[in-house]
Amino acid sequence: MRLLSQTRGLPVITTEEAEQLGRVEDLTIDPRTRSVVCVRLSGAPKHAATIAWELIEGVGQDAVVVRSVASAGVGPHEFPAHHEILGKRVLTEHGTAHGTVKDIAFDTATGRVHTLYTALGDISGDHLLGVGEYAVVVRGA
Amino acid sequence: MITPLLASELTKRVVVTLDGEAVAQVKDTVFDFGAGRITGFTLSGRGLLAGPLKVSLPLSGVHAIGPSAVMIPGTAVLTERKAVLSAHQAEHGQVLGAPVLTDQGTETGTVLDIVIEAGASGRVIGFEIALKETTDQGKRRAFIPRGEALAVSGRAMVIPAQAHHFIADDLPSFGAQVEAFRRYTAPPTHLTPTTDEEAPS
Repeated sequence: MRLLSQTRGLPVITTEEAEQLGRVEDLTIDPRTRSVVCVRLSGAPKHAATIAWELIEGVGQDAVVVRSVASAGVGPHEFPAHHEILGKRVLTEHGTAHGTVKDIAFDTATGRVHTLYTALGDISGDHLLGVGEYAVVVRGA
Repeated sequence: MITPLLASELTKRVVVTLDGEAVAQVKDTVFDFGAGRITGFTLSGRGLLAGPLKVSLPLSGVHAIGPSAVMIPGTAVLTERKAVLSAHQAEHGQVLGAPVLTDQGTETGTVLDIVIEAGASGRVIGFEIALKETTDQGKRRAFIPRGEALAVSGRAMVIPAQAHHFIADDLPSFGAQVEAFRRYTAPPTHLTPTTDEEAPS
């Protein structure tokens, strides 16, 4: 399990060439699968600024590792629109505010969102319904 | 538990899809007082210069009316304005300021605001009223539950006299008073739940 805040800024290194592709700018989360779908890079050319989660070999304390330079920018599918999630307001499906997202814990192997941390309490990743421009929507009370 | 919301505070409330996108804000709440519930909302765009929208939100498209947002499943539920407006009977404004009479002929006060239930029901559960000086010493405003049968015209509103015993001073405690009032007015049964919604389906 890792925190999104600890993952941002890590260098992305390839195992074949030992080259740095850039740094992790953010992770994009697909609310339908409640998982990370891709890693967005900063300091990389535009066509190679996203890496599909399937191509990530490992997320460690000091770096994110991918197999080769070719990983960046190619993916089997279109990625959903990216929305910044840290600091975003949280709404329940009942229209009640639930603070803002302080951090997210995710499984480094599967990419599944484990927990959303808010000032008003932790929310299980299973309760995630939507991540939009305006708010993160969660199921429940 | 019933969460009461003031209708006046619904104005400008953001309309958010379950995907987390803010698509509009509430311009006006349209009531059907005969049915004792909201018909829907007219909408305006978000932002300072945004004007009214051509589409409206019927109650059937509402996922939940909450204290911070009106939630909808997606933009597909938004319909033509006519669908919401043609059904409406009494305008919000005509009810505000109307005197509240009990069915025994006592004037309790005048309507300041309409209280609806949070959630998807859109039900009107009572009114915020300015109390007549004589009814209570010192108190200026209070919340009073509506009866199941509610008679409203532009001129007056008639509520059951028993509703008087279930007046609340503030909105948070009003939810419990409405529940108590419903139990009180429900036909006395020992085995079945008091309202349809509580019954297992």
